[in-house]
Amino acid sequence: MSGSFLPLLMVLLLLAAFMRGDFALTLIYLVVGALVSGMVWSKRAMTQVRTQRRFQGHAFLGEKIKIDLHVQNTGWLPVPWLELRETLPVALVGPNSFQSVIHLGPHGESHFEYSVEARKRGYYPIGPLSVSTGDILGLRESLQAVMLAEHLVVYPKIIPLTSLKIPSHSPQGTLRHTLPLFEDPARTFGKRGYVTGDSLRRVDWKASASTGQFQVKVFEPSIALETCIILNLNAEDFYYRSRIDSIELAVVIAASIANWITANKQMVGLMVNGRDPLMADGRPQTIPPHKGKRQLMRLLETLARVDSIDQSPLAPLLQEQRYQLGWGTTLIVVTGRAEDKLIHELYQARRGGQNALLILAGMDASDEASLRQAYAFGIPVTAIASERDLSLWMQKSSRA
Amino acid sequence: MSAHPHTRAAAREKRFRPISYTLVFLMMACIVLTLSVLVRSLLPDWHAEIMAGILLFILLDRLYIHKQLQSLTPLSSEWVVTLGAQWVVIALVSRFLLSFANGPASLTDDLSHWVRGSLGTLFTAEFVITLMLAATLWVLTTQFLNLLDEIGLDMKAALSEEPVHTRTDIVPAHQRMVNLTFTSGIVLVILTALTRLNLQTVISNSSGLPLMEWSRFSGAEAGALLYFVFGLALMSLSRLMSLQTHWDRLRIPVSSSNLPRQWAMYSLVFLIALAVVVSLLPAGDSLGFFAVLGTLVGFLVNVLIFLSQLILGLVLMLLSLPFVLFGKTPPGIVNSEPPPMPVFPQVPEATPYSNATFELIRSILLWGGLILLLVYSLIRFVRQHDSLLAALRRNRITNWLVLAWQWLYRNVDRTRASLTQAIANGWQRVVSRLGSNRLLPRPGWISLRSLDPRRRVYFFYLAMVRRAGEQGLARGPSQTPAEYASHLEQAVPSVKEDIDALTQAFIEARYSRRNIDKAKASFVKATWERIRPALRGKTKENRSETK
Repeated sequence: MSGSFLPLLMVLLLLAAFMRGDFALTLIYLVVGALVSGMVWSKRAMTQVRTQRRFQGHAFLGEKIKIDLHVQNTGWLPVPWLELRETLPVALVGPNSFQSVIHLGPHGESHFEYSVEARKRGYYPIGPLSVSTGDILGLRESLQAVMLAEHLVVYPKIIPLTSLKIPSHSPQGTLRHTLPLFEDPARTFGKRGYVTGDSLRRVDWKASASTGQFQVKVFEPSIALETCIILNLNAEDFYYRSRIDSIELAVVIAASIANWITANKQMVGLMVNGRDPLMADGRPQTIPPHKGKRQLMRLLETLARVDSIDQSPLAPLLQEQRYQLGWGTTLIVVTGRAEDKLIHELYQARRGGQNALLILAGMDASDEASLRQAYAFGIPVTAIASERDLSLWMQKSSRA
Repeated sequence: MSAHPHTRAAAREKRFRPISYTLVFLMMACIVLTLSVLVRSLLPDWHAEIMAGILLFILLDRLYIHKQLQSLTPLSSEWVVTLGAQWVVIALVSRFLLSFANGPASLTDDLSHWVRGSLGTLFTAEFVITLMLAATLWVLTTQFLNLLDEIGLDMKAALSEEPVHTRTDIVPAHQRMVNLTFTSGIVLVILTALTRLNLQTVISNSSGLPLMEWSRFSGAEAGALLYFVFGLALMSLSRLMSLQTHWDRLRIPVSSSNLPRQWAMYSLVFLIALAVVVSLLPAGDSLGFFAVLGTLVGFLVNVLIFLSQLILGLVLMLLSLPFVLFGKTPPGIVNSEPPPMPVFPQVPEATPYSNATFELIRSILLWGGLILLLVYSLIRFVRQHDSLLAALRRNRITNWLVLAWQWLYRNVDRTRASLTQAIANGWQRVVSRLGSNRLLPRPGWISLRSLDPRRRVYFFYLAMVRRAGEQGLARGPSQTPAEYASHLEQAVPSVKEDIDALTQAFIEARYSRRNIDKAKASFVKATWERIRPALRGKTKENRSETK
């Protein structure tokens, strides 16, 4: 309320009391009426304004996302002015956010369409939308309402991989394997003559009857690649000069591998030690291995959201979680540095029947001794310094 | 609205300057009207009408030269010269007009004083007061105009490239405008009240307190009332300008192209609606709104015509001076007397309300407003004085009073709840007794919506009992709900779980104090909807068995 409003009212009331009403009372009606009706109008206008924001909550890198903002006046009272200010993340639109001023007549509505560009993976708030209005006399301060932010998930970059050599010991999957140890009875490869020691279960009775000699089925060896991608986002484990790029590269590697595994109809899970803004405690949820596109989207969403964290080494998490993974599961650890404790944990996993593959993302900051130890324990180590290296690794794998 | 902010500001200036200047002129004219009425009532010998004319002339001059004065650096030599020249002319014109109002002889006398150098005699009380009033009006108008420039009329000031965080005073500039309008309004209201005070009685009563006697209408009320009406219009305009400047500075595009037009329409409708409502409310000896407007227009026209006649007469008289010098007779027109004083238009008084209801409403509004204001001021005062509040909290008596109030509040609340519950239960009992005695007709429908969740659970359970009774599975008088449930379950095993669930819900609702929420009632309803067809199926079975 204006500073001199109360003194004016006081003077008018005193005069009205002395003069028994008349013009002073008329002035009181006028001044108080202006204040009260202005106040009621602006409050009412604010309560009858409805805003709605529509957009696709998920986007891949480089996509343009159209955001549709619908503002409606649901009442008969016009809204003389309405200031809309949307707060948008700088990573998507630059310094300018969406803002506009409109006027809404009785039951009037207004549509706005603007777009943002998914330039970087992440979990971005779209909003909050600040809506301000006020009375036409300016006797009261503007009223403000806030429409809460909604979130946009920008998936990480996926580099399409055609072939990868990932170790696995899980029998009877869908991936062909060279070791006869993993023969799949569902994949008949051919037939051969019976030799002593062959199991009677492998005898092909129809073929034996037609040839007159015992024939046994030869099965194609196959493996099931049950994989868990373990992403280390502990900031100290990445070389400090290229930390941000290396962490992003690690996420890209994890997403690309997850995509490749899902495309090959294998099971893949995810374990991350970063910070997830969606979780109450900030710890990302471990996603157990599953097949299918839905699983891939779950993984990508987590990978989109997670951010690096300080003072959260990977080894304890691996120690805690690896017992929940099945025998024969391949652990693909994507990290910036291989430290002794981690190597030791991977060795324990190997001893427990799981496989391990260590991928060093970005500039290598590992100790020579640790790497040598990894080789000694039979843990394959691959260093990927850039996205180009990821393609080279794929080519190498396909040749092998 | 893709135009550059400066282009928009220039367009805005072109559009808003004439409107805002007109409103400022009208507001000041209202003040002049009140002042002239006051002068007339206090000092009837003075030329209040001429003073009003001079003030209006100065007002117009101030509005006209505002842009020119703004372009000059304050206190620079050019500024001093310009302002000095203005005031010399104003003083001379005022002096000659006041002299001429007393007749050509008075003007000739004053001129001879002037020629002889006895300037002191020229500074009469009337002249000095006129100059003082003129200076006050000049300053007040300047303040309004400067604020309007700051709010948005002056493009350079409004859109200066200072960082936003240091330029947060644009909205306060509007607030200052509101404050200035209200503060001037306070003074105007007091002046208006003074115009109605019968000073003769105040002065004549020399012993004790002066006797206050109020006359009914003085004519200044119109000025005060219209001042506020124009003031509100100016506030609306100023608000629009301040918002537009704010949006321009923050580069916020205005999507509605017709915003100013709509704004003007809303303001007009708002003010008219307000004026209509105000004129309908009981205010004792009421003033008609249009009659008031007519009063101001009449005053302005009269004063301006009179002033122009006076100036013309003065000019002609000055032109005749060379004729006198050369001993010739000046043309006859010059010797004519000054034009007759304009008659102040009287506000037509509306018939006073004689209705007792209106009197009562008026009293309630007046005294209610006064009490509310006092309570509000008291609360504000206590809040502003934290120490006082703390001391009150520490004080045993206050503390005891607060505790007593809390105890009373709690007990009243509890009693109210118990009373409501007792009345509801009593009513239920009466209804059920009357229903069982067939004194009241059995209601055809029960509105489920009117029942609370607990009673809804009762309803569905009783529905099950009634429907089962119709199927020959009547509940025995000594059977508990659980026993009856097991009996029913044996008869209708397909909905065994549902019967159990419904019975459990009934037991909980009937015999426990647990809160039964709507979800529970909905669940019971769904359960009953599964039991009902099963009981219906039971009827078919019975029929087929009979056949």
